[in-house]
Amino acid sequence: MSSTTGTMTATSAHPKTHAKPVSMVLHGLLAEFDDDHKLVAACKKVRDAGYTDWDAHSPFPVHGIDRAMGISMTKLPIFIFFCGALGTATGVIMQWWMNAVDYPFLISGKPFWSLPANIPVIFELTILFSALSAVIGMFAFNGLPRHYNPLFRSERFKRATDDRFFISVLASDPRFNLNSTRSLLESAGAAAVERVDDTSESEAPPRLFIWAHAILLCLALIPIAMIYRARNAPIDYPRLHVIFDMDNQEKYAGKQAANPAFVDGRAMRLPVAGTVARGMLRQDPALTDGRVGDRWLTVFPANVTIDDALLKRGQNRYEIFCAPCHGFDGSGNGRVTDVARERGLGWVEPKNLHDEDVRLRPVGHLYNTVKNGIRTMPPYGDQISGESDRWAVVAYIKALQRSQRAAPGDVPTEKKDELNNRK
Amino acid sequence: MHHAETIDIMQEPRHLERARTVGHQALFVGVAALGAGVAVALFGGKLDGFLKSYLVSYTYFLSLALGALFFVMIQHVTRAGWSVTVRRIAECITAALPIWLLLAIPLIAMAAKIYPWMTQTLLSPDMAALVEKKRQYLNFGFWAGRIVLYFLIWSWLAHFFYRKSIEQDSTGDPKLSHWMHQRAAIGLVLFAFSLAFAAYDLIKSLNPGWFSTMFGVYYFAGSVQGFFGLLIIVVAWVQSSGRLPRAITTEHYHDMGKFMFAFTVFWAYIAFSQYMLIWYANIPEETRWYLSRQTGAWAWFSVFLLFGKFILPFLFLISRWPKRMRELLIVGALWILLMQWCDQYYLIMPAENPESAGAGQLPLHLNDLLCFIGLGGIFIWAVTQRMASCSLVPERDPRLHEALAFENY
Ligand code: HEC
Repeated sequence: MSSTTGTMTATSAHPKTHAKPVSMVLHGLLAEFDDDHKLVAACKKVRDAGYTDWDAHSPFPVHGIDRAMGISMTKLPIFIFFCGALGTATGVIMQWWMNAVDYPFLISGKPFWSLPANIPVIFELTILFSALSAVIGMFAFNGLPRHYNPLFRSERFKRATDDRFFISVLASDPRFNLNSTRSLLESAGAAAVERVDDTSESEAPPRLFIWAHAILLCLALIPIAMIYRARNAPIDYPRLHVIFDMDNQEKYAGKQAANPAFVDGRAMRLPVAGTVARGMLRQDPALTDGRVGDRWLTVFPANVTIDDALLKRGQNRYEIFCAPCHGFDGSGNGRVTDVARERGLGWVEPKNLHDEDVRLRPVGHLYNTVKNGIRTMPPYGDQISGESDRWAVVAYIKALQRSQRAAPGDVPTEKKDELNNRK
Repeated sequence: MHHAETIDIMQEPRHLERARTVGHQALFVGVAALGAGVAVALFGGKLDGFLKSYLVSYTYFLSLALGALFFVMIQHVTRAGWSVTVRRIAECITAALPIWLLLAIPLIAMAAKIYPWMTQTLLSPDMAALVEKKRQYLNFGFWAGRIVLYFLIWSWLAHFFYRKSIEQDSTGDPKLSHWMHQRAAIGLVLFAFSLAFAAYDLIKSLNPGWFSTMFGVYYFAGSVQGFFGLLIIVVAWVQSSGRLPRAITTEHYHDMGKFMFAFTVFWAYIAFSQYMLIWYANIPEETRWYLSRQTGAWAWFSVFLLFGKFILPFLFLISRWPKRMRELLIVGALWILLMQWCDQYYLIMPAENPESAGAGQLPLHLNDLLCFIGLGGIFIWAVTQRMASCSLVPERDPRLHEALAFENY
């Protein structure tokens, strides 16, 4: 088994790859043991002799080895804790910045910055940061990855991954002495002790290694370059569609073919006799359509009372459904508009609701715009369902319009001070 | 630590005869407290209030016993080695389960006083129609039958695992371990369903119009969290009485502490998952339950629970050393036990209707304390009688040597 006793050291430099002989320096001593019990016993001896720069090698984890070697408790958990806390902080700050500062956007009517909604992401980031820091920290604390170790020059050491146990004491240890260390290891029960040498200067990595890395690096740049081009160059064909979602669903609209699912071949079903579809009841056209005959209403319908509650409701609906385009103040500077402008997308800009023509529109016309849309603006009748909500939005638009051209007399007396004190 | 020398379990003191007298004293105090509670309730004419206090402590001690049953089965199903030295104590804690069936009798007899779905007048009018639709499930006969069935399942499981384990003490037959390993898998499935439905029936049906499929898991998470608190206390008591001095080590405390920590996090995870979905969807039928718990003083109680049952124990237990320092760990365990009781209080006490007159007030009453002492005394009695009757460690379990040599790295 251990027939190659100690003779490998002299020939350990690879003669084939080196034209000129390389000078060797002492790296340390390598002691071999037959089983893990002997290894643990020997570790205790080396530990008690006061060595610091040494290591034990085993094919499998040996219980109690860290104590036998005098290794103190790892600091890794503390590192992980702080990285995890960093993940928590990142989760909080990121979402606050994104949702409440950089791109304020109403979701489900919740506050812009809403902690319960953020917790899942905070939680995931905490886990992610902890897990990554655990792996990276484990490598770093162990000084890994290490591509080269002089111990690999020893033929005997190959069995460290198989059925032999080793202790290596490095020459850099202050207590190291070729003779006394050797006799310590021998007296500790080593089956064999050999000297390991290393080249005095580091060797260059193989050429192939460098080339392979260079090529991989170039290849890795390709996707980035493609993304860059796709984001910046105008194209006249549809963008790549990776996920075939509802944009491409099967449907009968526009097919002009009979639908085999129904006897009468229609794709769209007629309402059941004697029923009225939601939102289709038109008993009071003034209320439901904002007009009587073909004349727009110029005053609000009788059964809509304009009070604080209605205006508040109108503001709420407006800020959810209209403000993204028309802006919170109605001047047409909503977030969607901003983005469209930044990207230079050619689109019909949302109207400034304070423009003369919009201001002079009868309220019935505004109501119709909300419900059915106008020219390029899509209808919002389905989202803002119920007449009173739509009229509430109209009332709020009127309030917005008035606010922009208000005279001092419009301000209620109790608010006057507030206005005057403002610079 | 020096586990190189093997411990001979037969040399360990492992019988705690004193437990019997402790149990008798506890029973005496408990019955007296319950009697006092009933008297207070009858004189004050507030029997429904008493029943709710009773239910709080009832589900509280039940949760601890169920946690113990879960622990025993999960150790068997995973063939765990480390826990053998503390498993018998958990088996003893499950002795409370059959007793708890008897204690359900007053609850079942007077259920109509507190479960609103039994008497329409307790319900807010808008709920009545909804509850009517659940009649098939929520009717007295079916409900009472289910409660009895759950207890039969639990008592049978608890009895089975205890008896086999005791049998092994005398025969030392490793086949019994295989047998328990297989039965535990089936037992856990039965356990999961029965526990979840028991939580729906006993606690959630106090709010019959409310929906949460997560509720069973919520009760489970708190149960196991609380159980580990109890296990640590009982183990510490056994050791301070000079029993199992070397068989149970810091390593075992460390592991029990880890489990307590894990279920602290799991409880928070489940509690938040339930909360967030309801908060986000914002549907009146669902939010009313939380509304009751976010009005008035209950809002502060919710915050207290969030900090007391999760944030503080989380920070306290996350590090290694408090779990390895017995005194600190015991403090943590007592705190967890207290918080598990507060959690039951939070689940059971608030008004069904957030708009009703008393909503928003903590109905703190002397009976809360009397019921706690009363049921606690009976619980201690049930557990200690079993502890006094058998060896405190499964002394011939084939995996005992693993537990004795167990170390955390
Ligand atoms: C997707 C962006 C978008 C949203 C959201 C939107 N609008 Fe518009 N709106 C437009 C555009 C674009 C126009 C101009 C249409 C045109 O000139 O073709 C317009 C025009 C208008 C006009 C002027 C119509 C006229 O009389 O000429 C009104 C009033 C109006 N919108 C109100 C609303 C209200 C109220 C809402 C919320 C329910 C709303 N808009 C939501 C894009 C939007």
